[in-house]
Amino acid sequence: MKLALELNGRPTELECEPDEMLLEVLRREGLGSVRATCGIGVCGACTVLVDGEPLSGCLTLAPKVEGREVTTVEGLAGADPVQRAFIEAHGFQCGWCTPGFVLTAKALLAENPQPSEAEIAEAFGGNLCRCGSYVKIVDAVRRAAGELAGAR
Amino acid sequence: MGIDPRVAGAQRYSVDLERPGMLHAAFVRSPHPHARVLAVDASGVPSDCVTLLPDDVQDLHLYGCQVRDEPVLTPLARHAGDIVAAVAAPTAEAAKAAARLLDVRYEELPAVFDPVQAVSPGTPLIHPDGALSAGEAVSIGVRPLAGTNVCHRFRLVHGDLTAGFGEADVVVQQAFRTPGAAHAPMEPHAAVAEWEDGRLTIWTGTQTPFNLRGDLAVAFGLEEERVRIIAIPMGGSFGAKTFVRHEAPLAALARKAGRPVKVVLDRTEEFVTLNRHPSVIRVRLGAKRDGTLVAKELDCWVDTGAYADCGPGVATKLGYAGVGPYRIPHVRVDALAIYTNLPPNGAFRGYGAMQSIWASERTMDVLAERLEMSPLELRRKNLLRDGDVFATGEVMHDVQFERCLQAAADAVDYERDPRGKGLCVLLKGMQTPSRAAISVERAGVGYVIRSAACEMGQGVRRSLQLMGAQMLGCEPGQIDVPEPDTDTSPFDTRTTSSRSTHMMGRALEVAVRDLRASGGERGYGEVHNEGGLDPDTGQGVASTHWHQGAAAAHVTVDEETGKLTIEHLHGVAYAGRVVNREGAELQNEGSMIMGLGTALFEAIEFADGQVTNANLSDYNLPAIGDLPKRFTHELIEREGAEVHGLGETVLPPVPAAIGNALFSLGLELHELPMSAERVLAAVDARDARAAAADSAPEARVPVAVDGQGLSG
Repeated sequence: MKLALELNGRPTELECEPDEMLLEVLRREGLGSVRATCGIGVCGACTVLVDGEPLSGCLTLAPKVEGREVTTVEGLAGADPVQRAFIEAHGFQCGWCTPGFVLTAKALLAENPQPSEAEIAEAFGGNLCRCGSYVKIVDAVRRAAGELAGAR
Repeated sequence: MGIDPRVAGAQRYSVDLERPGMLHAAFVRSPHPHARVLAVDASGVPSDCVTLLPDDVQDLHLYGCQVRDEPVLTPLARHAGDIVAAVAAPTAEAAKAAARLLDVRYEELPAVFDPVQAVSPGTPLIHPDGALSAGEAVSIGVRPLAGTNVCHRFRLVHGDLTAGFGEADVVVQQAFRTPGAAHAPMEPHAAVAEWEDGRLTIWTGTQTPFNLRGDLAVAFGLEEERVRIIAIPMGGSFGAKTFVRHEAPLAALARKAGRPVKVVLDRTEEFVTLNRHPSVIRVRLGAKRDGTLVAKELDCWVDTGAYADCGPGVATKLGYAGVGPYRIPHVRVDALAIYTNLPPNGAFRGYGAMQSIWASERTMDVLAERLEMSPLELRRKNLLRDGDVFATGEVMHDVQFERCLQAAADAVDYERDPRGKGLCVLLKGMQTPSRAAISVERAGVGYVIRSAACEMGQGVRRSLQLMGAQMLGCEPGQIDVPEPDTDTSPFDTRTTSSRSTHMMGRALEVAVRDLRASGGERGYGEVHNEGGLDPDTGQGVASTHWHQGAAAAHVTVDEETGKLTIEHLHGVAYAGRVVNREGAELQNEGSMIMGLGTALFEAIEFADGQVTNANLSDYNLPAIGDLPKRFTHELIEREGAEVHGLGETVLPPVPAAIGNALFSLGLELHELPMSAERVLAAVDARDARAAAADSAPEARVPVAVDGQGLSG
């Protein structure tokens, strides 16, 4: 079937099966930042933003995003304040989970510009980093919050 | 300047590999933990698939990094998940579907899942023909016990144990257990294998490209030069991607198909590919009334699963690390690496050190209580210092245990109030002997540094750039560090045991001197650290430099529910000299977080040899919300010191520090993880002891008992 959506800011039409997951469809499109990892929606490595909301690509049926805005980190083009904050804070090691953390952080800060420690922990409950970069990831979120507040 | 590809989502891993004309593989795995393959019927498999069946591997050989005991496809499944056949198909989905159509008939055999049981008389033998040492390729002497499931016995003998215990005023004894654990790198194992003109090339995420090359050369009966390994950056490994894993059956399948074949393991398969060694460790420790340690005896049952892999090395390191950083005149260690019908166990961040340090450092606090002495003071009194002789016969140098321990104690204000607090101090070593080589070439914008140091998130590329920039007088960005490739990278033993920055840094100094001396275009450097331990006496050189660290924990317990709260966790690693500050901090933080998972909730659960929690919902990994209320660490440096490895140092002490914090509250835990259920059971046991003491105040309550009732 045809799937029309806005993908990383561009109107896009994709082919997909009615029972296919968004993760598969996006990877076929060459969006390699969306990564099959746990397959059951607990690790967050395939996180994408759908109308700004972080969802697991492995649990989201592709046809459900018809007509919606889908964002992956490829769509941020490296210029995003959240990405810059992850670099400044050294909030990553192997990089596998990093796109999911960046997108979840974007969604969190859009909804809650000054999250508390507990709110950060809650927001990232579905993002796992086995390298254990969490201290610096939290630092990155705080830096990004500060920068976004300064820009307003 | 471009953004780091890891943050841009542009980093590519083995799962992203593509080769022209590539097929996709799926493995057929035994559902039984111990079963003979009687027949494989592939008649239902679609004709566009290629099958790899037992007959296709008749010409191949057993391989193994320390013991040659592993077949490319096994005619005898030794664990649930053992690979008995494989299929290649145009897509991964088609391969998985076809694998389900292969009909395998098995004859089930009796199985054993516990290392202590596996060495008791009458137990079925998992490798009846016995273990065959991989010979000169092995850096340790392997000592299998014929006619048993023991693939390696490591013994350490220092002083006279009987005399030592004879001198002791107080002796405590306790057995401890640790479960299997999953490395659970976010990136699964993946690879592509391709043959061209009788030469095999494999692109794979691996920490051990040269070991992989050597082992595959053995399996396929090739000269090493006819195998090429290109080591792709990994999405985490922690020991999971060492030696031969999925690569051998993949290469055999590609040979049969005559085309490149790719495999990506699914999450369930990860749990039967390589895990951490479960262990049972019994410690007997004797001291004088004033706290001077006089004798220590360690018996270790180390479950290496269906194949030895590097289990002999793990049992060895576990064995000597369990002695601890103490002056003890009389020591005996007996560590057995034991086959069972569990999936193979191998290198896991710390290489066995966590298991024996958990047992050994918990016992120190038991002894301190018996002596009515502060656990800090007991440790301080016995710590190794410069010039002391360790149980291996090595004279200690650049010793910083006391600084590490004191820093940990101070961080939690231990001396003011030790209640609810626990300490652990540790010694571990680096892979010894080993060899590292590196080359530097002048290039357009700067330099190219080639080595086989593999990137898995630990930042070895960055460390090479930083060290190179300092030595060569350029910017780190002017140094290109290509992926390891056994055709073009100089030899390195492997990227394990926190050795890369230390060894490669030293080799790079040699290479840069060579470059300067030979016209500035090209330099080569190679360093060796000589040594190794005699497997029968434990004497020799365990490590040419020591990994030294400590941890302190402050805990509170909800005694109604058993819920354990870590108020503060502090880790200390001796760095010698820090090369990459943020990278070193990330290693400390990552090690401590992995240690928290080990301490509090990580365990692979088995039912009759089947993993029952083979997914990331039932097997929990630490998330941000699992961080302690206060989470701090430090890197200790010393002016003029050499670079010390630190990629694993503060994982092993975390469980013991937390266990000792619980012990300070009267809660005795002997088995990991320290789940709420176990904490609650310890609360009940403490209260029962108190009630018994109240009713018979003159009766002495034994503090240390051999809770496991082990013999041997």
